Amino acid sequence: MKIFSESHKTVFVVDHCPYMAESCRQHVEFDMLVKNRTQGIIPLAPISKSLWTCSVESSMEYCRIMYDIFPFKKLVNFIVSDSGAHVLNSWTQEDQNLQELMAALAAVGPPNPRADPECCSILHGLVAAVETLCKITEYQHEARTLLMENAERVGNRGRIICITNAKSDSHVRMLEDCVQETIHEHNKLAANSDHLMQIQKCELVLIHTYPVGEDSLVSDRSKKELSPVLTSEVHSVRAGRHLATKLNILVQQHFDLASTTITNIPMKEEQHANTSANYDVELLHHKDAHVDFLKSGDSHLGGGSREGPFKETITLKWCTPRTNNIELHYCTGAYRISPVDVNSRPSSCLTNFLLNGRSVLLEQPRKSGSKVISHMLSSHGGEIFLHVLSSSRSILEDPPSISEGCGGRVTDYRITDFGEFMRENRLTPFLDPRYKIDGSLEVPLERAKDQLEKHTRYWPMIISQTTIFNMQAVVPLASVIVKESLTEEDVLNCQKTIYNLVDMERKNDPLPISTVGTRGKGPKRDEQYRIMWNELETLVRAHINNSEKHQRVLECLMACRSKPPEEEERKKRGRKREDKEDKSEKAVKDYEQEKSWQDSERLKGILERGKEDLAEAEIIKDSPDSPEPPNKKPLVEMDETPQVEKSKGPVSLLSLWSNRINTANSRKHQEFAGRLNSVNNRAELYQHLKEENGMETPENGKASRQ
Amino acid sequence: MPTVVVMDVSLSMTRPVSIEGSEEYQRKHLAAHGLTMLFEHMATNYKLEFTALVVFSSLWELMVPFTRDYNTLQVVLVTDGCLGIGRGSLRHSLATQNQRSESNRFPLPFPFPSKLYIMCMANLEEYSRKLIDLAYTPFHAVLKCGHLTADVQVFPRPEPFVVDEEIDPIPKVINTEGDEVGTGITDDNEDENSANQIAGKIPNFCVLLHGSLKVEGMVAIVQLGPEWHGMLYSQADSKKKSNLMMSLFEPGPEPLPWLGKMAQLGPISDAKENPYGEDDNKSPFPLQPKNKRSYAQNVTVWIKPSGLQTDVQKILRNARKLPEKTQTFYKELNRLRKAALAFGFLDLLKGVADMLERECTLLPDTAHPDAAFQLSHAAQQLKLASTGTSEYAAYDQNITPLHTDFSGSSTERI
Repeated sequence: MKIFSESHKTVFVVDHCPYMAESCRQHVEFDMLVKNRTQGIIPLAPISKSLWTCSVESSMEYCRIMYDIFPFKKLVNFIVSDSGAHVLNSWTQEDQNLQELMAALAAVGPPNPRADPECCSILHGLVAAVETLCKITEYQHEARTLLMENAERVGNRGRIICITNAKSDSHVRMLEDCVQETIHEHNKLAANSDHLMQIQKCELVLIHTYPVGEDSLVSDRSKKELSPVLTSEVHSVRAGRHLATKLNILVQQHFDLASTTITNIPMKEEQHANTSANYDVELLHHKDAHVDFLKSGDSHLGGGSREGPFKETITLKWCTPRTNNIELHYCTGAYRISPVDVNSRPSSCLTNFLLNGRSVLLEQPRKSGSKVISHMLSSHGGEIFLHVLSSSRSILEDPPSISEGCGGRVTDYRITDFGEFMRENRLTPFLDPRYKIDGSLEVPLERAKDQLEKHTRYWPMIISQTTIFNMQAVVPLASVIVKESLTEEDVLNCQKTIYNLVDMERKNDPLPISTVGTRGKGPKRDEQYRIMWNELETLVRAHINNSEKHQRVLECLMACRSKPPEEEERKKRGRKREDKEDKSEKAVKDYEQEKSWQDSERLKGILERGKEDLAEAEIIKDSPDSPEPPNKKPLVEMDETPQVEKSKGPVSLLSLWSNRINTANSRKHQEFAGRLNSVNNRAELYQHLKEENGMETPENGKASRQ
Repeated sequence: MPTVVVMDVSLSMTRPVSIEGSEEYQRKHLAAHGLTMLFEHMATNYKLEFTALVVFSSLWELMVPFTRDYNTLQVVLVTDGCLGIGRGSLRHSLATQNQRSESNRFPLPFPFPSKLYIMCMANLEEYSRKLIDLAYTPFHAVLKCGHLTADVQVFPRPEPFVVDEEIDPIPKVINTEGDEVGTGITDDNEDENSANQIAGKIPNFCVLLHGSLKVEGMVAIVQLGPEWHGMLYSQADSKKKSNLMMSLFEPGPEPLPWLGKMAQLGPISDAKENPYGEDDNKSPFPLQPKNKRSYAQNVTVWIKPSGLQTDVQKILRNARKLPEKTQTFYKELNRLRKAALAFGFLDLLKGVADMLERECTLLPDTAHPDAAFQLSHAAQQLKLASTGTSEYAAYDQNITPLHTDFSGSSTERI
């Protein structure tokens, strides 16, 4: 594919000399009388279009189809020629629409039959056409700027479609010579100019049109190379609908279009609203939409050879619309369409149906065998596209299930949480440019990736890997800590969350710690809290560099979280209360059942895991009594083991690890003033806030999850 | 891309190959060996590829239709070396590709997207290895979502893509360097069944993503390189087996016009209010194009007489329902006037003016007096426009309804 092929620039040169005012001699009845009023009234005489009217409406139709299918990068420059050249628009994208052209044509008006034919010539227009082809388009400019030293790769080619009434074959030759010479001259000029480009290739399409019933004075000639830069072809066409047909064929050739006819469209009859008949609508689109027909060898469907007649169309049957998006999975391309007969009732019924948001599946007509859906019509944002659905045997046939692959047997993924994560990270267009503080342009997509980075710094994938994300009480903190910056209110909320957790710990509320993979009752309550605090700390630490306020949240957390010595004390107390503990353990179970955790199967879960990442290691679910899993590689350097729990019988890997982390962490921050001044390791903190907090009913655990 | 292996089984394939110090081999043995190698490679590294085997000499036969069962493919046969000479030979046919006539039905190149590898016998093992490297290396990549990552194999292999052979002749390939953008290559040397068993139990981001995409009915945009994107979604087959599927968009800044430029897609948290609505009942997509397409803007086309007749009929129908239909009458009248002026079809304006004047004379006695006023006013304005004089034939100027007042005994009638 080439962006700057001949079809990037099309110049229409339409003859506006006096003879173009002549009638095309094809009559149009416009006074169609309604039956019951016809008595005694003679219809008005039919009228006929001039050669000019035929030329203009055919070229407008060419442009309409082109703009429908290529709204960008395919440009038209319209020139009208009489005693001089009138250039009606420019190459800029804003000038590229039918309304602009129609308004400009109306300003020109029909040719004046009384003007002096000696002063008028199509040559003025052809010279202007060459001139305009040398002018750079905004796309060419952009590409050249982008390519820098490779700017010469940007081609400058174009096509001149000239509609005129020539005198003879030698007249045609004279026109060709003139174009040839003009290109030569202008290329010389362009060579010395920065804002002009030399024409590398120009395709001249000369259309001689004459009134119906007259003999043509000019003979057809297929494409011929006149010079390395110029090729020319001559079409001798009768005016009226013949001219329109010719331009319809040309637009298909020039822009690689193909035709599809939708057949069997059910439509209510205008006269009898309760009956419906079947109609056909012909659409044009890029020929790639038919590529599958070539592949399956249905050459009778495929429109024959490339140079073949363009009358051919592929017929596809309308299927009663369904709203099943599955078909789109097999979509291999979407191509803009343009109806051939845009204003006919069947066409506008079909297009309105589609513009209203409905889709139509299209079926290949077959005499026998199963139904094959090969295309779908659907609109997006006011534009209709023909979607190609892969109908032949798919390479995607019989794909393996994801459950057979890596991670396929894990059953407790945080599916709902990640769904929520995806919804928070959805994209939306930012059409106005935004700037960073340093004045550079901000790319919205980069912002989106940035946010993904922040939101995933600590994101355990499975339920049994996390405690905090299973607790409703942590949500206020977890949802704001990932933000780029925090407000004072956010900080306050985070602190409240932390105090709330402290409160829960004091009241010995149960935690939703996973018991998967553990034998017996799982970790003791105080250990559960240590796991929770560790995980929360990991989450907050992942964000401390975002801002100073994030730092403050961590400070609060470090100050409030339970400290190992204190825990030891409580552990002793805890052992004395073992009976009590058992009861509450039951409570945990009940509570767990109540919760609609995503996967009821999660308990079948993970027995052994080969690898465990750091986050996981921090919250290993093993109790001190559970045996070491066979495959587990020790992640901890044993020589760094802190001395704290030496005498306490079997030490779990977890406690070793968390102690190590705690020791390491305690080196990273200044000792909290409260702790330094504490009595018996106890200090009253943030008294005022605690009071405030005490008023609220603390939420324990996560009550319900969607 | 499915593979068709086409093998030469003509007599020339039985010619001996001289390999020093070994027993005698025929060319077909070599070819069989090479293909076995290829099939073995595919069976281990390229499991999802469909392959078919066709043999030919003067006739051809489909030995094995498309299959993924490489055991059935590892049968007999062979390819050849001689391309032939003269008219009708492969060399001649390819060289004269551009001068082919209708009668010459040589099938190459195929009219659909395809790749053709021709292996000629020499050292076939070497060639098979080259072919494997060229066409059948598994595509390993890393799927990243911030810090969540997963090693993936992509099948079928994404092929390099040339956006514009002239401006940018270098084919675009998916970035395999593992930067923060999208994908990257990894050395994943784990294999064997035991590894698969363990792998099944290690949480994998792909499975999480797939599950959530499926439940939420969403797709994820994936970036494959600078200005190259695709989408990830869950695809299920009829047997309810589903997997994570990636569809590639055409490289470019704006692959799907209704999404706008990919670089302009940013996080919703940057927007003043959630563009998806608080209740998830809105969407910022699709984006509307600046200009409407012809089928959405009521353009006027009179190429077929029926187009013109319909437009005239519309005016006539409304003319008979004046004054109720005054607004639509003038709307349709102005639409016709504009098109006629643009097409230089002034005779039509005159014709329609005559028609309206006739309608005026045909008005029944019961008609509202305003009908006659509006009809003759419209006819007069059209007649003026049909003169083409700039004063009355301005494109942007519309014919406006005559201001009449029948409310009382007003004497200001015109």
